[in-house]
Amino acid sequence: MNPVLGYVAIAAVTIATALIGFFGLRISRTTQDFYVASRTVRPWWNASAIGGEYLSAASVLGIAGLILLQGAGGLWFPIGYTAGYLMLLLFVAAPLRRSGAYTIPDFTGARLESRLVRRLTTVLVILIGWFYIVPQLQGAALTIRITTGLPSWMGAAAVSIIVGLIVAAGGMRSITFVQAFQFWLKLTAIAVPAVLLLITVGRDGGPGVDPAVAFPAALGPASLDVYSTVSLVIALLLGTMGLPHVLVRFYTNPDGAAARRTTLIVLGLLSVFYIFPTVIGLLGRALAPELASPGEADALVLLLPGMVIGGMLGDVLTALVIAGAFGAFLSTSSGLVVSLAGVISQELAGGSVRGFRIAAIASSLVPLAVALVLEPGGLAGSVGLVFAFTASTLCPVLVLGIWWRGLTARGAVAGMLGGGLFCGAAILLGPLLAAAGGWPAWLQAALAQPAAWTVPLAFALTVVVSRLDRRRAPRGADRVLARLHAPEAAA
Amino acid sequence: MSEGVRPQRVRVTAPRPGEPIAAPAEHPSIERSDTATVYVRSLIRSQLRLAIICASGFIVSLGMLWAVLAAAPALEAVVVAGAPVSWLLLAFGAYPAILAFAVIFVVASTRNEAGYRSLMSADPES
Repeated sequence: MNPVLGYVAIAAVTIATALIGFFGLRISRTTQDFYVASRTVRPWWNASAIGGEYLSAASVLGIAGLILLQGAGGLWFPIGYTAGYLMLLLFVAAPLRRSGAYTIPDFTGARLESRLVRRLTTVLVILIGWFYIVPQLQGAALTIRITTGLPSWMGAAAVSIIVGLIVAAGGMRSITFVQAFQFWLKLTAIAVPAVLLLITVGRDGGPGVDPAVAFPAALGPASLDVYSTVSLVIALLLGTMGLPHVLVRFYTNPDGAAARRTTLIVLGLLSVFYIFPTVIGLLGRALAPELASPGEADALVLLLPGMVIGGMLGDVLTALVIAGAFGAFLSTSSGLVVSLAGVISQELAGGSVRGFRIAAIASSLVPLAVALVLEPGGLAGSVGLVFAFTASTLCPVLVLGIWWRGLTARGAVAGMLGGGLFCGAAILLGPLLAAAGGWPAWLQAALAQPAAWTVPLAFALTVVVSRLDRRRAPRGADRVLARLHAPEAAA
Repeated sequence: MSEGVRPQRVRVTAPRPGEPIAAPAEHPSIERSDTATVYVRSLIRSQLRLAIICASGFIVSLGMLWAVLAAAPALEAVVVAGAPVSWLLLAFGAYPAILAFAVIFVVASTRNEAGYRSLMSADPES
C-alpha cells in the first residue's frame, strides 16, 4: 500500500479533530462546560456525539474482520452493540439523566449513601476505561503498520498523545463537537467504500465465487454454539449501559425525555452504520479469503477497497477508510479519557479543572503502557470481554439502584466484588486453560464467554445480600427514586 | 454570544455523601403528601413493567429469528445477491426489531409520564 495515503489521511483527521477541539474550547468556559457541556447539547448533536464515541475500533475494523474470520458468529457483534443501546434506553437513560450526578461513582455513592460504594465504583470505572482504551490503541497500531509501514508502537503512542492533549485542553464541550464530527466521518468513511464495492462487484457480475465456499454451512448461523452465542449477547446487551464514556454522555441532555429521544436517534444512527461493516465483512469472505488469519483479518476494511477497485478511486477510498478508522480510535479513546479524567479528578482533586487536566494525561498514558506490553488480540473479541466485565459489575448496581428501593450498600459491594472477581478470573484464566489444553470443553467455553453465568451471579449476590441487610436500606431511597422517575416540571 | 448573556460562573463539585443528588429546585413535584408517594410509586411500577415488556419482546423476537435459521437449514442453500439468505437475515434482520421496540418504549413511557403529570396537577394538596 502507498504509505503517502496513510500519512495524508491520518494527518487530515488529526488536524480536523484538533481544530474542532480548540475551536470548541473558546466556547467552553465554566467547570460545568468542562465536565458535561453545561447539559445544553441538542438531541441530534448529542446523538451524533454518542454514536461517534461509541463506534470504536471494534466496530469500524473488528466486525468485518470477525465476519471474515469466524463467519456468521461475527454477525452477532453489531446486533449486540446496537441492542445494548436498546437496553440502556429501556432501563437507565431517563432516570440517570434525572439523577443529576456527573459520573457513575457520583450516582452509586449518592444513591446508596456510601463512601465505600463510591470508591469501589470509581476503581471499576477506571479499570474498565483503561481496558477499553487498550484495544483502541492496538487498532491504531495495526492501522499504522498496515498503511504506512511504520512500527506498530507509533500508532498507539500517537493516538494516546493526541487524545491526552485534546481532552486536557478542551474538556467535554469541545469533545462533544469533535465526537459528532467523528460519527459522520466514520459513517462516510465506511459507507462510501461499501457502496462502491457493491457496485463494482455487481457490475462485474458477482464475485465469481461459489457461495457455498465463501459462506460455508459449517460457519453459518445454524452452526453456532448456543452457550457461547447466548453468553456473548448477554455481555453486549447488558455491558453497554455500564460503559463509563456512554453514561457520562447522557448528562449532557437537558432533561429525562430528551435523554430518551437522544437514545432513539442513536439507535437509528447505529442501525444504519452497522449495515456497512457487515457488508464489507460479507464481501471480504467472497473476495479476500487470504486475509482470514487472526493477525490480519482486522485490516480487511483498510485493504479491500484498494484490492477490488484499484486506481485513483481505490487510493481515495483507501485514504478515506484510514481516516475513518483513525477517527474511531481518536473518538472512543477521547470519550473514555474524558469520563475517566472526570471520575479521577472528582475523587482525588475535588473536581478542579487542573485535576481534570492532570487526570486526562494520566488516563491516556497508562493504557498506552498496557497496550505496548500486551500481545494484541482480535479487536472485537477483546472489546467483547470488556463488555462482559462491565455487565458483571456496574450493570447490576445501576439497574437495581434505579428500580429497586431495597438495594443496600452492602448488596451493591457484594455484587460488584463477586461479579468482578469471577468475571476477571475467567478472563485471565480462559486463555491459559485454552493454551494448556486437556480441560473439558464446557469449562473452556464458560471461561471464554463468562457473561452468561457471571451476570446472573452478580445480580443474585446483590439481591440476596441486600435482602439480608434489609434494615440498612438507605433512608433516602424513596426520595431518590421519586427524583429519578418523576418527569421534570414543565418549564 | 454577547458578554451580557453569559451566566454567572459557578463552581461545581462532586456531591458530598448523603447530599441529595438532584437539585431540589429542579423537582418541585416531589416530597409531598402520601398521595404523591403513591402516584410516584405507581409511575415507577408502570415504567418498569413497560421496560421489561419491551426487553422481553425484543429478546423473544431475536430468539425466534435464530430458531428459524437453526430449524431451516434449507435457507443456507437459497442464494440472494451472492450470499445465503440465512446469513443475510442474521446480518440485517435484527435492526428493525430493535428500532420498533425503542419507538414503542419512548412513546409509551412519555405517555406514562403525562398520566402522572395530570394526576399530580389534579391533586391540589400534593
